[in-house]
Amino acid sequence: MGRNRSDLIVFVGKRLLQLIPVVLGVIVITFFFTHVATQNPCAVWAGAHATADQVQACIVRFGLDRPLTDQFWRYLTTLLSGDWGANPRGGVPVLLSISSAFPATLELVLASLFIMTVLGIPLGVIAANGAGRWADHLVRVFYLSGWATPTYLGAVVLAIAVGPAIGLPTKGDFASTPPFARLTHMSVLDALLALDFPAAGDALLHLILPASALALLNLGIATRMTRTSMLEVLPLDFVKTARMKGLSDFVVLYKHALRNALISTVTILGITAGVLLSGTVVIETIFQWPGIGAYAYDAIKGYNFPGTIAVVIVFAIAVVISNLLSDVLYGILDPRVEWR
Amino acid sequence: MANETRSSLGGDATAERSLRGKVSHLRELLRPFIRVLRANPLTLVGFILVVIISVTAVLVALVPVITQLVLGHPILLTPYDPNGISTDYSQGPSLKHLLGTDKLGLDIFSRVLTALPLDLAIGVGIAGFALLAGGGLGLVAGYWDKPRTIGGAISAVILRVTDVFLAFPSLVLALAIAASLGRGTVPSMLAVLLTWWPYYVRLTRGEVLAVKHRPYVVAARAAGVSEVRILFRHVLRNLIEPLLVYYTLDIGTVIITFSTISFVGIGVPLEVSEWGTMVEAYEQLLLTHPWTVLAPGAAIFITVLAFSLFGDGLRDILDPRSRRTLVQAVAPTTLPGQVAVSAEA
Amino acid sequence: MVEPVLEVQDLSVEYEAGTGTFHALTGVSVRLDPGRVVGIVGETGSGKSTLAHAIPRLLPEPPARIVSGRIAFRGVDVLDLPKWKLPLLRGTGIGMIFQEPINSLNPAYRIFDQVAEAVAVRKLRDAGEAPTLFPAPEPHDYSKGTTVKTGEALLHPIATTLPRRRSRARREALMQDVLDYLKLVRINDPETILDLYPHELSGGMRQRIMIAMALSAKPSLLIADEPTSALDITIQAQVLTLMKELMEEVQTSILFISHDLGIIAEMADEVGVLYAGHLVEFGPVEEVFANPRHPYTKLLLRSVPAQYKEDGPLPALSGSVPSLADVPRGCPFHPRCPLARDACTRDPGPMLEPAKDTSVRTHLSACYYSDEVGRMT
Repeated sequence: MGRNRSDLIVFVGKRLLQLIPVVLGVIVITFFFTHVATQNPCAVWAGAHATADQVQACIVRFGLDRPLTDQFWRYLTTLLSGDWGANPRGGVPVLLSISSAFPATLELVLASLFIMTVLGIPLGVIAANGAGRWADHLVRVFYLSGWATPTYLGAVVLAIAVGPAIGLPTKGDFASTPPFARLTHMSVLDALLALDFPAAGDALLHLILPASALALLNLGIATRMTRTSMLEVLPLDFVKTARMKGLSDFVVLYKHALRNALISTVTILGITAGVLLSGTVVIETIFQWPGIGAYAYDAIKGYNFPGTIAVVIVFAIAVVISNLLSDVLYGILDPRVEWR
Repeated sequence: MANETRSSLGGDATAERSLRGKVSHLRELLRPFIRVLRANPLTLVGFILVVIISVTAVLVALVPVITQLVLGHPILLTPYDPNGISTDYSQGPSLKHLLGTDKLGLDIFSRVLTALPLDLAIGVGIAGFALLAGGGLGLVAGYWDKPRTIGGAISAVILRVTDVFLAFPSLVLALAIAASLGRGTVPSMLAVLLTWWPYYVRLTRGEVLAVKHRPYVVAARAAGVSEVRILFRHVLRNLIEPLLVYYTLDIGTVIITFSTISFVGIGVPLEVSEWGTMVEAYEQLLLTHPWTVLAPGAAIFITVLAFSLFGDGLRDILDPRSRRTLVQAVAPTTLPGQVAVSAEA
Repeated sequence: MVEPVLEVQDLSVEYEAGTGTFHALTGVSVRLDPGRVVGIVGETGSGKSTLAHAIPRLLPEPPARIVSGRIAFRGVDVLDLPKWKLPLLRGTGIGMIFQEPINSLNPAYRIFDQVAEAVAVRKLRDAGEAPTLFPAPEPHDYSKGTTVKTGEALLHPIATTLPRRRSRARREALMQDVLDYLKLVRINDPETILDLYPHELSGGMRQRIMIAMALSAKPSLLIADEPTSALDITIQAQVLTLMKELMEEVQTSILFISHDLGIIAEMADEVGVLYAGHLVEFGPVEEVFANPRHPYTKLLLRSVPAQYKEDGPLPALSGSVPSLADVPRGCPFHPRCPLARDACTRDPGPMLEPAKDTSVRTHLSACYYSDEVGRMT
């Protein structure tokens, strides 16, 4: 049987090993694109009022006059030795920034995933159950509207108009810098760990709008997939068997049909992660959420090369791990699958 | 009454070869398409919108060019020059300015209309190039992937490179490339193209793999049909449907990504009308002069929604599984758990 | 006269498909008395599956449409029930087993959970904790009232509750019943299969579990829709033997659907012959098979390759079954019938009425010339 614990460990191990060449490839590509910038980055780093000498000094200091392969080799060796570099403009170490920003994004993405699951999946079930009739059309218009709204537009409207209108905070993760130490850099969690419940409430309120924005705009992914999956499952005989046991419609739909439909739905977890992470770049910037999305935005615009590469590495690892997670979940949900 | 056993080989063949036969044959093919369009009001709405938008875009773009060539001076279809500063500052929508003006007096409606051909062409064109490039690579990677052959080696390389590109969240990669290539329309087009091709590789390869081992393909090969013929008749024909659906939906996504790059500030230059730059420029005016932000926003929304409605409905029309679900009732169907190989979003 | 368990009167069902309207059933009437087995025999496309699914209202309403007719289960008008009451009809009222055992069991849950679920529903209803249409514990005790008053039904929660947690106590309470019913279907050492998934068992085993699940609810009516058609022939024999023995032990009326004449002959007390959505003959099974009074039945019986005859080709019927979208006018069989005459082509076709030239009063045939069938070659 390819389904016991040791099989799972081997499977996960193999996939994590495959992670390494992918990350390497990601580094190569990002390095390539950032270092063939047509603009001289030193012009940006040294500041708007820098003199030609200062720019030249900057070039020498950062080794930008060396051949590309040489620069890459130097970068790679420093990276492997644990030094992820620092922001050329200002000198803040990259690793420091990322280690405090990443958990914040993780919190945001998890909250969005929660909303997507709780809202999106039942909508998919409703749409499939009433396939071709008004419920289906209504759900479709709803999620396609979210899909058709660019992230920046939705975020702007929510942050500038809707948020103030309904009284939800739109900036940052806390109203003011919290007094307790940030252990995990996840706002709600830190507040709970410090037993500061008013702050936890405040953090939760700050979380609502950005997470909702991210979730509602991308709800279609979950809803559409659930609907398709349910449409495949509903005509199958075991659904009829469940009905003929005398179970109510709700139990038949959720306990029997959806349970099997989720097997397919879970496969999109990897894609969803990529889409959500892309979304954080804009959402965090507009809502001033201190995550790596905002960091990526600043790094890309500010030609922070070590920062950009580091952020991209983190994103790539996150996407690969989400894909791995979706495969593992798939194996857990479907008892017929073996981990190979 | 005796049974009529009529051979369809003799008399009908000549009928088919005539023109009338061809036309009615075409109508037969289109009939399910038309029927589902009629049954699915949303898809019909999407289709109509797509047609309207496309025609408008073509007219707005081509009429000035053609009139320039023919008459010597261009005739703009937009009511005002999109870059024409006037004295009607920050006016709300009115009969004179359908969507109002901004603080420089530029007519919003004209700007939105001028941006339409650009954004639409980007969507259709970039997604199209990605489809061709990625699709071609995916075909190679899926079809000629026997290990220890040249084809196998090429396939492996294609797959590894694609995997790496797919590990990037699309927007992040597009932004990074756009930033490095500098500001401008063409660099941002390139950025989106370089970000987009891997998705078609994965999609095409998945479909090719699924079809390659189907019984009818194996049977054709065993019967001695040449590989090229198999490729065109069986494999490509099965590819067209999922690719077409994905492409239609992708047009919207590409437009959004491209406009996001412009929104961030590393896309098209400021003097070019583009929906993303417009939203960014008027962002802070949302509460005071909402029409400035909402007009380009609505333009993107409607365009992407139209293509999404159409593509989403197209998916339902072309997917034989969902078509069957609407008809079958009591016959047992396929085995459960044969999860779709191409489980796309 | 005992009230029949099932009474179908003049049922007509249509399907709206994109390409046309399929008349799956036209004017079908069946009556099933308590404790009896009625077999419905027909080829593919005769509408027998539609009939099986129509009775517990399993047909998906948008493509399918019940045009006319009445279905009465123990006096309750099934077609009149509101949708939310349908679950109350099933399980303890009507049970059903299906054809493909691979598909009929939920692949995601273990055997124990699935069988226990069926048992739990019945126990909740017996204990009065879940609403049911038939509060009488014994299926055939008609002395007590059969229908719950609407008001009473509304007072109970609509959703049938299930074991809320898979707690130890719950599991133990249901365990004995589960084991009993698995043993009932001749599964030795049922403890060994409780934690297995359906895909880990053989087809015959799965079908037995289906039967166990259906019977554990103690239904008054069991509908068997081609239960052995997907099984290997040796397994088929085992399951059929099992069902025959169960018919002695368990007092459930059965509606047995099959395309196999031999199986029907073995299992049923009475048989109805379906052709193109019409019921063309009905009567006691020995009588109908020995003295068919409808041309279709006679030709069908003759075409069964019973022995390896040396004399000439197999006597197959000429032509093919009409598409349900295109059923011939008048008698549906007339294009292929050697006895067909002008009267047979005119609407409406012949109705089911007592066959001519036979002493058995309950033998019905829908043929104007049923007396000539005996002399057909």
